[in-house]
Amino acid sequence: MPRKAKEEKEKLEEKAVKKVTKTVKSSKEKVAKTSKSKKAPTISKEEKESKKTAKVKTKASKTTAKTKNATKKVAAKKTTTKKASTKTKVSKTTSVSKEEKVNTISGEKFEIAEYYDLPYRYNQTVVKLLYQTPTTLFIYWDISVKDSEKLKEKYGEDFFEKTRPVLIVHNETKGYSFEVEINDFANCWYLNVKDSKCNYKIELGRRPFEVTYQGEVTSVKTTPKINTNYIPITYSNTIESPNDHVLLEKAQEMLYFRNVKTNEVTSKNIATLTYLKSIGKIYQVNELYKKFYNEEILDYSKGGFSNPSSGGLSSSSFK
Amino acid sequence: MNKNPKGYVSFVLHAHLPFIHHPESDDYLEEQWLFEAISETYIPLLRNYKKLVDEKVDFRITMSMTPPLLWMLDNKLLQKKYIHYLNEHIELCEKEVKRTAYDSRLNELSKYYLNRYSDDLHLFKDVFKCDLISAFKHFQDIGVLEIITCGATHGFFPILFVNEKTIKAQIAVGVQTYKKYFGRQPRGIWLPECGYVPEADKYLKEFGIEYAIVESHGILYADPTPVYGTFAPIVSPGGLIAFGRDMESSRQVWSSINGYPGDFNYREFYRDIGYEADYDYIKPYIAHDGVRVNTGIKYYRITGKTDQKDYYNLQWAQDSINMQTGHFFDSRVKQINEVAPYMDHPPIILCPYDAELYGHWWYEGPDWLYTLFKKIHYDDCNFALITPSEYIDKYPNIQICSPCRSSWGANGYNEVWLNPSNDYVHRHLHKAGDRMVELAHLFPNEQDELKRFALNQCARELLLAQSSDWLFIITNNTMVDYAKKRIKDHIGRFTKLYEEIKRDKIDEKYLNEIYRKDKIFDDIDYMIYY
Repeated sequence: MPRKAKEEKEKLEEKAVKKVTKTVKSSKEKVAKTSKSKKAPTISKEEKESKKTAKVKTKASKTTAKTKNATKKVAAKKTTTKKASTKTKVSKTTSVSKEEKVNTISGEKFEIAEYYDLPYRYNQTVVKLLYQTPTTLFIYWDISVKDSEKLKEKYGEDFFEKTRPVLIVHNETKGYSFEVEINDFANCWYLNVKDSKCNYKIELGRRPFEVTYQGEVTSVKTTPKINTNYIPITYSNTIESPNDHVLLEKAQEMLYFRNVKTNEVTSKNIATLTYLKSIGKIYQVNELYKKFYNEEILDYSKGGFSNPSSGGLSSSSFK
Repeated sequence: MNKNPKGYVSFVLHAHLPFIHHPESDDYLEEQWLFEAISETYIPLLRNYKKLVDEKVDFRITMSMTPPLLWMLDNKLLQKKYIHYLNEHIELCEKEVKRTAYDSRLNELSKYYLNRYSDDLHLFKDVFKCDLISAFKHFQDIGVLEIITCGATHGFFPILFVNEKTIKAQIAVGVQTYKKYFGRQPRGIWLPECGYVPEADKYLKEFGIEYAIVESHGILYADPTPVYGTFAPIVSPGGLIAFGRDMESSRQVWSSINGYPGDFNYREFYRDIGYEADYDYIKPYIAHDGVRVNTGIKYYRITGKTDQKDYYNLQWAQDSINMQTGHFFDSRVKQINEVAPYMDHPPIILCPYDAELYGHWWYEGPDWLYTLFKKIHYDDCNFALITPSEYIDKYPNIQICSPCRSSWGANGYNEVWLNPSNDYVHRHLHKAGDRMVELAHLFPNEQDELKRFALNQCARELLLAQSSDWLFIITNNTMVDYAKKRIKDHIGRFTKLYEEIKRDKIDEKYLNEIYRKDKIFDDIDYMIYY
């Protein structure tokens, strides 16, 4: 947060505004200033919405004008006056001629005022898959204008009105798939899956709207051009979801060790290990774990790993 | 220290701050994170390491120092700003000594702070010659401290790995920066946020990293189940050795209920004269826009679960340190006695923490470590302190298991850095990563000086955008505007340069200006993305 003496800041703002955006009316300037505090609390909400509708994008870019730095504010305003044309443009920079003496500790002079907004989209057909937890996947997607046009060409101008988007989740490890209906207002999704430590891949596709009567599909609304009940669009990357439990079910008779200095690999029968030998059991790593951890960590749901590092007393809290 | 120990304890402190460098303005409060960390954590640690060495106490400690932190410590402007910060504090402390003359306890504390900040200034300028990196390096060179590296800008691997070149670059630049400052190859790495993905193994190996620190379940949920749990490292099929955090010792320090930092005799973090002193009096020492902020001058102790706080008492705090280090010491002795009989090698108990916990949040933390290390040295003890590297050298026979994908964030996976508050960022990080790889392939080994400069600056902007800190701040809901601005700035600068490079119309003036703001990683070569 830039901290600047208020009076000084306002003076700077006024100067800069006059110099750079002569066309901006002073009434607008007032609006921008007074709306600063009002808009601040709503930014996150607006940013969320910006993911869903293109319209909101211009709003979001407006709210960023709240930055306290005077020069940035000017640039921001400039952008908003041109909102219609900034949709896919990422950056704007403005030269500000600074006559006043540089009085920062660095003594360095910077002449370019920068203002950036994240692009709403990259006009690229993509489905990207990440894991959030062992059983929650995160997917984001987009379809390029070119690909949309191709689909319309093939299936009719009303293709996107006559079909709805779906995600097909493929569990490649266990060999099953299931489908989730999404909507055209979203561009990302969180998905619960039941199996941890599995490879997943997501397919984005579209299906014609179905007309149902009492839960039964009575007809499929198709157009003459849509003659199939599923149109694939693209695939995601494959990821492996993390494991979420001690793999006691994977009993092992042999353990493998590597001497990291010589790279020599040796194997040991688990029954030869000191403790397991002494109690005369094999495949009993869980017995050993109970000794080590009093069972508390063996069940993830008991919160054995509720991690303190992100809970408060952390350097992260500097931030 | 025990020459023939039954087990080992290894402290690892992770020192990190995001890259914050604003030559264009002195008004960024965020720059103070560095100054607070220097005064409250880095100098106190150095002071105590020196005391231990002077007293001939044999100790071992491991620290990761991240590339942005190293760069900031090395930066002349930030050094100058830190001295300015200290001078302001000394001036305030002098006023405090006069103001508090009415109460001998308060007055004693204000004199303590005056001494402390004056000593910081003396140490920083006259003893360390503004060079804290060399001060830390000294302790590494004499063998009591092992410094390890980190990802270039603390990029969170479990989000970046969908484009492997981007984690490769994080690792490559992290190692390169380490070599520049410490003149040798790092043996270990602190994976940013302990975020482990097996896809990183091959790059870690490629750049000479032997071991990494992972969260407890990185080991316990490994495949196959490691027979010794977190009491021994494991080695991945790709050859990366992983040490896991010990839960019991962590909990003793971290627990919000009965953790050590919550002792009633310890300094209360949230009572600061920045918030409490008369406004006109304190105004020159808080934010320039008049917002009250912490000054670091705090007169109260935690006292209890009450708003009525008693004055801080240095001797009482030391009494608690003595008691707690005794408890920690006894707990480790007991733990090792219980575990060692079941193992073929002496167990290692790994205790990783954020360095800034020690001193900044837990004011007494650095003295707590000092007291503990002395105790381990002098008392009858069944364990010794060790660094992970020394442990590997002593016990190189390590079970082969694949560590579990994990992090040390809340609930152990990616939720802190990927949730509805910050998930809008990821597509931009991925896209910029893909575009960086594209640039490297479009213009391999570029000979044109200006274009090469622009390509390298693209790499800097990408790395800076990838800091896990911005995502964390958004989740944590403090200083959110700053974090969001930083993401927009770096993605914006990257994208503008990307377009200019492709159009072959590089705005040299613009490039020079953003370079002066984001001039981290002087020797970066964008070809790491090739």
